[in-house]
Amino acid sequence: MTDEVKKYFNGLLHKVNGLYIIQVTDRDGVPLLRVSQDKNVDFALMPSFIPTFATASEQAGKLGLGRNKVIISMYSNYQVVQMNKLPLILTFVGGEHCNTGHILALEHQLDAHLEDIKLAVNEA
Amino acid sequence: MEQQLEKALNEFASQPETVGVLLANRQGLCLGAKGQINPNVSGIGMAISEQVCKLEPNLNPPTICLYSGNKRCIIKKDGELTGVIYKQKPN
Repeated sequence: MTDEVKKYFNGLLHKVNGLYIIQVTDRDGVPLLRVSQDKNVDFALMPSFIPTFATASEQAGKLGLGRNKVIISMYSNYQVVQMNKLPLILTFVGGEHCNTGHILALEHQLDAHLEDIKLAVNEA
Repeated sequence: MEQQLEKALNEFASQPETVGVLLANRQGLCLGAKGQINPNVSGIGMAISEQVCKLEPNLNPPTICLYSGNKRCIIKKDGELTGVIYKQKPN
């Protein structure tokens, strides 16, 4: 099962230009799956990175615009797209010129492939 | 602020056989859409345009036309903007 999902995410990584990492974690930031290109972007693995998103997403949900789904963070050299698919959190790290719209369009395709991981996390 | 953009979108949308039109920025994010077109198409439209540009990297970005039944999807990249137009022939 994991191999299939990993293969699928690896395919996605090559489809989107300038995308370096796709990481699936649980809400505490525990890595469940990670595919990456040969690029050193270890900041995405920092222990504080994912829980900070979880908190920010929770706070953003209080703005009265409905549940927060995605947070896009643009930095000088990188962009980070984080998707709230509780109990999972998806993190995409790409270059500053990476096609953000393409990453966002993947959201609906991903759901079917995440079902098994979601189930495993819920059972744990 | 978006008046000019709205004007351009309205102009495109009023062309014959056009059912939907959108404009995307260089990040592939939708700047505006008019008619029957999903704003999520902006990223994929731009990705198609980027891939096709690789065929002839030294030339200007080409106009891409995808045919499907009685529908057509036209993609054109111009500088930082990418336009996607859906056209449909009347039955």
